[in-house]
Amino acid sequence: MSAPETPPGGAAPLATPPAPALQIEAVTFRWDLDKTYLRTEFESLRKMVRIPFEAGADKVHLPGVPQLIQGLRRCASERGERPFVFFLSASPPQIGAAIREKLALDGIEYDGLTFKDQLRNLVRGHWRSLREQVGYKLGELLRARAAGPAATREVLFGDDWESDPLIYTLYADVLAGTLDDDILARILEAVGVQRRDVEGIQTAARLVHGTAPGGVARIYINLERRTPPSQFQMFGARIVPTFNYLQAAASLFEAGALDSAALVEVARAIVLGAGDSSHRLRNSIDDLTRRGHLRLATRDRIVRMLAKHDLTSLARDEAALRSRLRAALERFRRRRRDRRPLAGPDYERVLASVGGKPREAEKTSSDEAAPPG
Amino acid sequence: MPRIAVDAMGGDFAPDEVVRGVAKVSLSSDIQMVLVGHADQIQGLLDAGEYDPELISVRHCSSAIGMAEDPRDALRAKKDASINVAARMVAAGEADAMVSAGNTGACVLAAAKHWKLLPGIRKAALASVFPRQTEYEGQDHLALLLDVGATIRCDAIELAQFGVMGSAYARTISKVPTPRVGLLNMGSEPNKGGEVLVAAHRILSSLPAIHFVGNVEGNDVATGRADVIVAEGILGNVTLKLLEGVAEVAWKLASHAAHDNWRWRLGMAMLSSGIERMRDLADFQTYGGAPILGFEHLWIKAHGRSRAPAIANAIKVAAKAVRDGIVPDMTEAVAKLQ
Repeated sequence: MSAPETPPGGAAPLATPPAPALQIEAVTFRWDLDKTYLRTEFESLRKMVRIPFEAGADKVHLPGVPQLIQGLRRCASERGERPFVFFLSASPPQIGAAIREKLALDGIEYDGLTFKDQLRNLVRGHWRSLREQVGYKLGELLRARAAGPAATREVLFGDDWESDPLIYTLYADVLAGTLDDDILARILEAVGVQRRDVEGIQTAARLVHGTAPGGVARIYINLERRTPPSQFQMFGARIVPTFNYLQAAASLFEAGALDSAALVEVARAIVLGAGDSSHRLRNSIDDLTRRGHLRLATRDRIVRMLAKHDLTSLARDEAALRSRLRAALERFRRRRRDRRPLAGPDYERVLASVGGKPREAEKTSSDEAAPPG
Repeated sequence: MPRIAVDAMGGDFAPDEVVRGVAKVSLSSDIQMVLVGHADQIQGLLDAGEYDPELISVRHCSSAIGMAEDPRDALRAKKDASINVAARMVAAGEADAMVSAGNTGACVLAAAKHWKLLPGIRKAALASVFPRQTEYEGQDHLALLLDVGATIRCDAIELAQFGVMGSAYARTISKVPTPRVGLLNMGSEPNKGGEVLVAAHRILSSLPAIHFVGNVEGNDVATGRADVIVAEGILGNVTLKLLEGVAEVAWKLASHAAHDNWRWRLGMAMLSSGIERMRDLADFQTYGGAPILGFEHLWIKAHGRSRAPAIANAIKVAAKAVRDGIVPDMTEAVAKLQ
């Protein structure tokens, strides 16, 4: 009997967690709203102004998302796990009614929907908090985790518009107990979180610190802005940047969180919603494979499955294509092995990317400032 | 939707600029592209920039033909070279057309090796576009010169076939309903230029499907007198290089003079926007590439020094040619010639 293949992305499998110390009873799916679930357009002032006046029916979801959430819920239930779906948005609660209406129209069952109380920030004169998202979202995630079921694994969904990769990574490492207080504080300060909020987040972090090693299994980042995938390497192997929800669904299918019927539903929704051709779907799957987030065997299963449902066509020379992809994947793995072992986030790089001082630099400057003798 | 095979390893700045060009097109069109080359390098480059994975697939191959390599030997020795693989893909129907900025000789030979000539066509021609004076509003500022190196010597029928193919190409790409075709010669009279050119003149004059304007001399090349200029390879190549050389020397002379004399410098500064516009018109990056005509498939040969914008434009030209059915048009035109 062969040993189970390690997923190329290196993240923990969802259905069979490697750390059995945690008694898993539930799985939580946390979603950002704008640009992750909804195709919200706030690139221009004109489009932004329109948002509060939109009804639920005016709001547009990204192709395949409702089907993905429904599939994740159903599959978790069938595995005997209790699924939770939470939405966390940086939009004000004033648009809550439209969002609830939209989710109802899409047939989404959810367990929580959190908005950012901008009015309170205004009244209290917290001007910087109006635009600052990292502190707000991380604080909310930590508080929600502390208040929610402890024995749960989480899958997080965000996008590349604001700071979801950073927020989710910090959150995951707090739960895993691998992020120390000092780094957390320095990153938060570097991204402009106010001192009083940093302290509040640190307090919330201490409540859940180390309570769930491997608690966040995967973080899916929807590349709505087409941010180059290489920019997410510093956040570690847990992050899977995806260009569409078929890629997320394929990765979740491999992780055992989604069955074939749900995957096909997502693909069908993308074909219907985005007008994607069979070539496009297959290219998406191959792209995910080349980037090392999908095993070749899974890629083959998915392509055959989609072809069976007339959603994509098999390549004329499928066997040759498979062997080429296998070779590409081998090279990718070798390159990665040569470069460095699979790792968690590189917080020194993260700090540098948000304008914070790396640890060494800080140490040197404080040494220089110290009085002689 | 057109599917274009792109030689990722061909060109002075490959694969970086080629991959960037493909990524650029993927963000602004629905053209399906297959990048043929070293998959690791290609994916690494894609990962570092913005791209749409739905429109890009990658075909790995382990070798490439260098710009300075002998085309014949290299093609024979490197069966798995990107040019060979891409040409085979097109031949097998896995892509509709091909773009390469690689070794020109290898491109022409690979097309000849893997693709069939159109029925009735005896030799393929490498065409090139070049900037010329326009005579009326809306006239394309680029004219087509063929052949510029796929052949050395041609007979009269082959030259007439070049005229027919060039006319069909210009009709589609330049949207000139009846492109004016000229025969490059040493005089405007029909009896000039020797036996081959006289016979070619006679055949071209007798073809009702094309608008033949007679012989054009060297001084007419850069005027708007003909939209398509036909020549045998050796003459076409010399003419093209002469045009490029003159433009380069003129630019260098002007810059040099401006450096030495403040009045010239002032004049150049005043003319700078016009000069820039002229440079834009003449810049190969804007038109991307030129076709190899005469095969059952289309090959757009981009300039060896192509950067991402030029590659992107070459891909767009290839896609447009596929969409507009240039090969069927050409087949039909050649069939009429028979």
